[in-house]
Amino acid sequence: MDWHLLGLSFITVFLSELGDKSQLAAIALGGNSKSPRAVFLGAAAALLVASLLGVIVGEETAQLLPAQWVKIVAAVGFAVMAVRLLLPTSDSTEDAN
Amino acid sequence: MSLEVSPFGGSLPIVEPELENTSPLWIEEKEVSSAIVATVTPPQPASPEQGSRNFWKVFGTTFITIFLAELGDKTQVATLLMSAEFHAPWIVFTGAAAALITTSLLGVLVGRWLSTFLAPKTLDTAAGITLALISAWLLWDVIKG
Repeated sequence: MDWHLLGLSFITVFLSELGDKSQLAAIALGGNSKSPRAVFLGAAAALLVASLLGVIVGEETAQLLPAQWVKIVAAVGFAVMAVRLLLPTSDSTEDAN
Repeated sequence: MSLEVSPFGGSLPIVEPELENTSPLWIEEKEVSSAIVATVTPPQPASPEQGSRNFWKVFGTTFITIFLAELGDKTQVATLLMSAEFHAPWIVFTGAAAALITTSLLGVLVGRWLSTFLAPKTLDTAAGITLALISAWLLWDVIKG
């Protein structure tokens, strides 16, 4: 086991992730939700799959995913969730319990 | 308290009015046990459990949100470059995985900490604004790149 590389990847990813989009989303979702455990497990699972994809794509050094399109889809998704949170709906009364 | 409801914390909102002499501590314990059940067992179609359904709904929403936010992001690019450079993908993945689990745990803990002194309404607004800003941030990345 190459402990140097393990430590390097941990520190690099940890620092680049602090205050990043996905951590801000985890903060927003975790503070909002009744089940923070589900938010944590969902966030951790998503990040593991995303970094697994990164590692596989990196190893094959091929661009498999059109990142621009994924970002557009993600932006629309966030906008929809933001509107749902900002508009007073029946959902917010459900969450307030 | 009736026996048929006690193992299922998920049905708590329905039975709560009947249990007026129940201590808050007991309710809390039930909630915790239901959360643990939801964590370790897959969704059970036989008994429609509110808590379990809510767990998977939150899990799914969070998974899709974070996954989409993370694709093509600097963290993923960092792992991609490191694994391309060192040809040790599993060590890079292990380090990245440990870091990402730590940061998402920190994120959720910060969110919970904020919720202790902010009203749910304020928190909803703040979360909505945050997600809208992330959306704008992603679109800006697309336009710029």
